[in-house]
Amino acid sequence: MIRRTLTIEVFRFNPQTPDIKPYMETYTVKEVPNMTLFVALNTIREEQDPSLMFDFVCRAAICGSCAMLVNGRPRLACKTLTKTLPSHIKLLPLPVFKLIGDLSVDTGTWFRHLNLKTQAWIHTDKTFDPKAIEERMDNETALKIYEAERCIECGCCVAGCATANIRDDFLGAAGLNKIARFMVDPRDKRSDQNFFEVIGTDEGVFGCMGLMACDDNCPQELPLQMQLAFVRRRMAMTGIFGGK
Amino acid sequence: MLLQKLIGRNQRLDAYLDVAEFLSGLFLVGFLWTHMLFVATIIFGTKIFNKVPAILDATYISYVGIFMVIIVILLHMLVAGRKIPANLQDQLIIWRHARRLSQKDTWTWVFQVVTGISILILASIHIWAILSGWPINAQISAGRVQETFFWFYMLFLVVCEYHAGIGIYRIAVKWGWIHRQKVGKVLTVITCSIVILGLAALLIFRFVIKAGGAP
Ligand code: SF4
Ligand code: SF4
Ligand code: FES
Repeated sequence: MIRRTLTIEVFRFNPQTPDIKPYMETYTVKEVPNMTLFVALNTIREEQDPSLMFDFVCRAAICGSCAMLVNGRPRLACKTLTKTLPSHIKLLPLPVFKLIGDLSVDTGTWFRHLNLKTQAWIHTDKTFDPKAIEERMDNETALKIYEAERCIECGCCVAGCATANIRDDFLGAAGLNKIARFMVDPRDKRSDQNFFEVIGTDEGVFGCMGLMACDDNCPQELPLQMQLAFVRRRMAMTGIFGGK
Repeated sequence: MLLQKLIGRNQRLDAYLDVAEFLSGLFLVGFLWTHMLFVATIIFGTKIFNKVPAILDATYISYVGIFMVIIVILLHMLVAGRKIPANLQDQLIIWRHARRLSQKDTWTWVFQVVTGISILILASIHIWAILSGWPINAQISAGRVQETFFWFYMLFLVVCEYHAGIGIYRIAVKWGWIHRQKVGKVLTVITCSIVILGLAALLIFRFVIKAGGAP
């Protein structure tokens, strides 16, 4: 196999030194078998430029911190094999989130706000009895919840979303997916009316224009089209006929 | 919660608007597809073609119908157009975003805006042409197509069917249960068939039917 030389163009900007305007810096790296973008970036940082900023923790597509725009599309650097890309690669940080520097963005604050706003926990009036046997849930419901819970909060769906790019209050597919998860959970006692108050506007589900960039770019391949449509139908019914 | 949002707005408005967009869109696609099927009856000859407007006239459907369609088009323009960013900066962001992402569905939405605006202009011309040449029959239509309107109708047909095809796809994706790859395939087939029917009708009007009556 002939090894390719990768030309990697990286967005450089440090908000700490705003006088230096954003620019693109080009690095070249020799491709090795099974190289991921994460490996390529580390090679650059170790051998060429220690000042390069980017995030990673798990390098196994679990923590969601290494998301960036790879040739324009939101991808996890640790999950993207360089062999799936052309030899010229352009990297930008995710839009929508606050820029920390170069490829590093702060998704944490955004998702924390989301979790607070959607009150992403089970609302119940039961007191927890640690000695009691766990209540049963039917398998189908459990699987639905599990499917939605696979979200790693990487922000790819938000960055790819046209609505989120122009409305900073939009909850995005990750947020609506989260609501869908609590809607199907029988332990959560919130009514549809309660949910409607949080997501029944253009900040929530009706802001979504159905462009499906979220669905196309979710690295966990969550069924976001189905989740969004489910929430939309429920919330439209609630908005028009009033909820239970 | 901010005061202006707490007291100044209708919590349910966004839901109503989204449903209105859905219903008006559905109605217009239904109308457009039936309309094209009616026009395509010319394939079976002028007699059959002329029967359609006669029946619609006799039952007053044309009079109520045309009026209703105009109203729904205007309504649809308002509710679907509400998602077009009003300021230039946001439009630029969307434009750059679409180019960077180069994702099909985002691009089709941009085209949807462009075709939507074109349809407003084209449809006004079309309605004006029809009403000023009332009634509808094969001879008058042929006259129209042969004299000035051939290329106009070619363009109008493609733009409308594209907008309707993508629009109904978007409705299905936003509200439906079926995976969008499947929906997309089915709708491509339907849209292509209707465009072909429309083209056939246009060519027949252009080259086969004898023109007569007012243009
Ligand atoms: S489908 Fe909705 S949430 Fe997903 S990218 Fe499009 S507008 Fe955003
Ligand atoms: S839904 Fe998918 S793309 Fe969005 S944050 Fe979760 S894992 Fe990432
Ligand atoms: S490093 Fe954790 S998802 Fe990529």
